[in-house]
Amino acid sequence: MTLSARNLSRRFGGLTALAGVDLDLAPGRLLGVIGPNGAGKSTLINLLTGHVKPTTGRVLVDGRDLTGARPWRIAHAGVARTFQIVKPFRGMTVVDNVIVAVLFGTGQAVRAGTRAARQSALEVLDRVGLADRAGANPAELSVADAHRLELAKALALRPRVLLLDEVLAGLRPAEIGPALALIDRLRADGLALLMVEHVVRAIAAVSDEVLVLHHGEVLTRGTAGDVLADERVIAAYLGARYAARSRAASEVPHE
Amino acid sequence: MRRLMPWAAGLLALVAGFVLQTQLYTGQERTVSTILMFVGLAAAWNLIGGYTGYASFGQVGFFGLGGYTTVVVMVHAHLSFWLALPVAAVVAGVFAAAVGWPLLRLRGHYFAVATLGVAEGLREVVTNLPGVTGGGAGITIPTVGPAAPTPWLGNDGFYVLFLLLAAGVVGVAALIATTPAGYALRAIHQDEEAAGAMGVNTTVAKTLAFAVSAALTGAIGAAYAFQQVTIFPERLFDVDITVLMVVMVVLGGSGTVAGPILGAVAVGAASEWLRQHLAVGHTLVLGALIILAVILLPQGFTSYVSSRQYSLLENVRRYRL
Repeated sequence: MTLSARNLSRRFGGLTALAGVDLDLAPGRLLGVIGPNGAGKSTLINLLTGHVKPTTGRVLVDGRDLTGARPWRIAHAGVARTFQIVKPFRGMTVVDNVIVAVLFGTGQAVRAGTRAARQSALEVLDRVGLADRAGANPAELSVADAHRLELAKALALRPRVLLLDEVLAGLRPAEIGPALALIDRLRADGLALLMVEHVVRAIAAVSDEVLVLHHGEVLTRGTAGDVLADERVIAAYLGARYAARSRAASEVPHE
Repeated sequence: MRRLMPWAAGLLALVAGFVLQTQLYTGQERTVSTILMFVGLAAAWNLIGGYTGYASFGQVGFFGLGGYTTVVVMVHAHLSFWLALPVAAVVAGVFAAAVGWPLLRLRGHYFAVATLGVAEGLREVVTNLPGVTGGGAGITIPTVGPAAPTPWLGNDGFYVLFLLLAAGVVGVAALIATTPAGYALRAIHQDEEAAGAMGVNTTVAKTLAFAVSAALTGAIGAAYAFQQVTIFPERLFDVDITVLMVVMVVLGGSGTVAGPILGAVAVGAASEWLRQHLAVGHTLVLGALIILAVILLPQGFTSYVSSRQYSLLENVRRYRL
């Protein structure tokens, strides 16, 4: 198991944002995380990457206890993330944004210098389809390209675990297909993936397992088919109309 | 080739500084020395305030600490000025690292106020240790005869010293801008949370930037103290010196290599010209000019030059003038 969390909890004053979550991320597998707003999805990622310290519980990377470690230490351990609200370094070009990740991601590339880092950064930009915008200012990017930059920065860390926080948010329907294809390729490359998403169809299409959070607790977990048919998930998150629509869609005979 | 151009320009400016010295009267030489001192101070402040985005309002504390360290070791230990200067830089740098470790957890106004407090605290300590620092009455370095650890350098000597210090600080800043450290500091400035997620050890990076900035400021303080011969806490811990550093960097272009140089030269020259030509109210006019410059060039002069979309009217409208 590459990344494991045991009994992970976080309280903010009187609010329990996350309570007793266990999860395991393995190479070549994708765990989808869904749930209503405020269910604790982003808190879960923040706890795994050290941006928020857990109240209780443990985070293990390759069996090493990294509970409460600083974000840079967790990044050096091979865990990368994207942010729900994209966080480009404004005032730096797209390629310079990625260079930061190349230089500091492993804690070793610093010595290789900025020129070697630029080459690596351009390769990563090419991988996510952003090579032609290398010299642009992040403020000029479309929503889809801003998400690509976010992903490029995470990939430039050469991670073994990648935590994606709503990378499909704001994308046009036509842009979701290529994004999912890219995520599928990352899984095939052996990355351990966690994907928080509201686009349920996308989660269903790529997840090996789906975990549903509600009020900070695990409501249920299992294959996408089982979870999306679960009455509790329909009541808490999907809504009866979604369930009826997806049932109707599945009853249409294939041509 | 393009990478070497800025360094060639810097070398040319240094040579121009030496040539300029031969053309100046004594009074002018002292004025240009002061401007050169502020070029160094602004470039040093820019490392923490401009690159890293932590506006230190206590920078004069490191200036004063460097100055007093120099004088104290020259007077009490009879150390040569040329040894006292690096000692002053190290003391200021180590002190900044020690206070920076906790203070750099604060951001924005909180950090500014905390550093302001540190500088005021240092002034109080220096004022209340008369046995070591001379207290409020000041302390004098012996500069002539056998009692002098190092003979006073004279106007020509101090001009060269401030020129070399300014060139050194700008050189360090230019080096940092192009190396991985520069990337780390700019990333911290833009988004510290994201910088951490990219593997940047933000605590160490910020603390080092603060320490280097303070050490360079301390070295300049050392030169200033020796130039003044007699120093007082009010003079060496004068908050106006910090304000000038900030204004120069903001006007010239924060976070750039050339910005602090342009800002220091422009503000220094304007201040001197006004002082000579307006007997009354020259500070008022200088203040008005600075306000006008900030309105018209909110991102600083270097940004105006590098941006092709500059609109004078747009900047005025922003303030609903």
